[in-house]
Amino acid sequence: MDFMIAIADGFIGMFQAGAEVFMGYMTGIIPLLVTLITAVNAVTKMIGEEKINRFLQKITKYALLRYTLVPLIAVFFFTNPMCYTVGRFMPEKYKPAFYDSAVSFVHPITGLFPHANSAELFIWLGVATGYATAGGSQAQLGLMFLLTGLLVILMRGLVTERISAYMFKKQGYERILNEK
Amino acid sequence: MANHKTVIVSKGKNGWGGPLELTPTDEKKYVISVTGGGIHPVAREIARLAGAEVVDSFKNPVAKEQTLVAVIDCGGTARCGTYPRLRIPTVNVKVMSPSGPLAKFMTEDIFVSGVTVGDVELADSETTVAAVPKTEVDEAEVKNAEKNKETVAAAAEPVEDNSTNNEIEGNKGVMGIIDKIAKGAGSFMNIMYQAGRDTIDTIIKNIIPFMAFVATLIGIINYTGIGEILANVFVPLSNNIGGLIILGVITALPFLSPLLAPGAVIGAIIGTLVGNEIANGNIDMSIALPALFAINAQVGTDFIPVGLTLGEAKPETISVGAPAILFSRVITGPLAVVIAYFMSFTL
Repeated sequence: MDFMIAIADGFIGMFQAGAEVFMGYMTGIIPLLVTLITAVNAVTKMIGEEKINRFLQKITKYALLRYTLVPLIAVFFFTNPMCYTVGRFMPEKYKPAFYDSAVSFVHPITGLFPHANSAELFIWLGVATGYATAGGSQAQLGLMFLLTGLLVILMRGLVTERISAYMFKKQGYERILNEK
Repeated sequence: MANHKTVIVSKGKNGWGGPLELTPTDEKKYVISVTGGGIHPVAREIARLAGAEVVDSFKNPVAKEQTLVAVIDCGGTARCGTYPRLRIPTVNVKVMSPSGPLAKFMTEDIFVSGVTVGDVELADSETTVAAVPKTEVDEAEVKNAEKNKETVAAAAEPVEDNSTNNEIEGNKGVMGIIDKIAKGAGSFMNIMYQAGRDTIDTIIKNIIPFMAFVATLIGIINYTGIGEILANVFVPLSNNIGGLIILGVITALPFLSPLLAPGAVIGAIIGTLVGNEIANGNIDMSIALPALFAINAQVGTDFIPVGLTLGEAKPETISVGAPAILFSRVITGPLAVVIAYFMSFTL
């Protein structure tokens, strides 16, 4: 009987450990997310889609902005996955590079703006909660994640742009390369 | 392609939505398989019965005007909403009900999930077979319509208020100013309230379920001591920059990355394990930033055709873009880890 009790204890204990972790999320993370996401949602509604689209349309022609500011604004306001629709404002030859750049930003942005990809928060949260437990500043790590993310998507956009240009040529799609 | 026939796709065990009635035409003749790793048997079966053509959307993208139906294997949230949003009938081979940011586009008339090869059948005896599901659909539509009516009715009230306000707006002076303030405050409250509703919705639908899953996993890992075993595997690989670069190369491998990417689940699990070890002091804190990139070199590689479709890319662009991005990741995946490593010196 003692043996059975020991097993039952272990069985329940395993889930009690999980329950504690869950409670930590509910009290530590959820309240912050609720207020933060509500505020950002309201801001994006107030600014309105039209204005953002008009602005983005103007700045996609600059390579530096195309792989930094454009994905940042697209992911911030339109969130994952609607942010990729911004690709329609640029010539065909840039679309693969823009997608690569934008999709690589949907996690770096969650450190400070979790609304942008709330379904996939745990890429960030998994590491960040551990970092905070060890005594680090989660806000600082979040900021660095965002800034490093911008550098990475610029690099990634430029590399993918070159590779896709090479492949367009190789496949005989010069027409697409010449498209304005 | 004269042999076009109507096919009925019903939801599978534990599935949701449908049944869908699909009839190919000369224009809409392609069944696209957006499943990765070749053409899915369900897509093949639909095409065989309907007399349509089946294509692998990763290799041969098709314009949305020519698409009869999209077959997907999305257990996550993003991809399964994309095609319904474009009003392309969508067959999900995984079991799921509408959720995620695009949930509102996944309606019963256009989305069916949990489908297996056995759920695809020919509408031979059209009158009998088709009649039964149709009434079901009708009922669902009536329900939907009722729901819509309710929301319309709810939405109509503030609109009416606005119109009365507009009449008063003609008044100048103090009343006009008061009215303007009241109107501004009213619309501000409306926006805030809707923002709150959206937030709670996404937290309940997207965030808490993932937390439940991760918390249970961590509980089991820590309590049973599996954690220590995993730590022995992970710590040597992830507590130094060399190991992280290797991890970045692995997650960026073109044949592996699309399999690791869906829903960012694998990355999240590895991230949680790494975070756990940082919390326990087994992995240095300075590793956190490069680790965030090392576990995620695969991001979005499962979503390339869909993401490019959302950007209204032509089929040629998609056919070039998919391999270009996959290949680019081999370079940029590890490079991102290196950039993050140098950035982490400022922490």
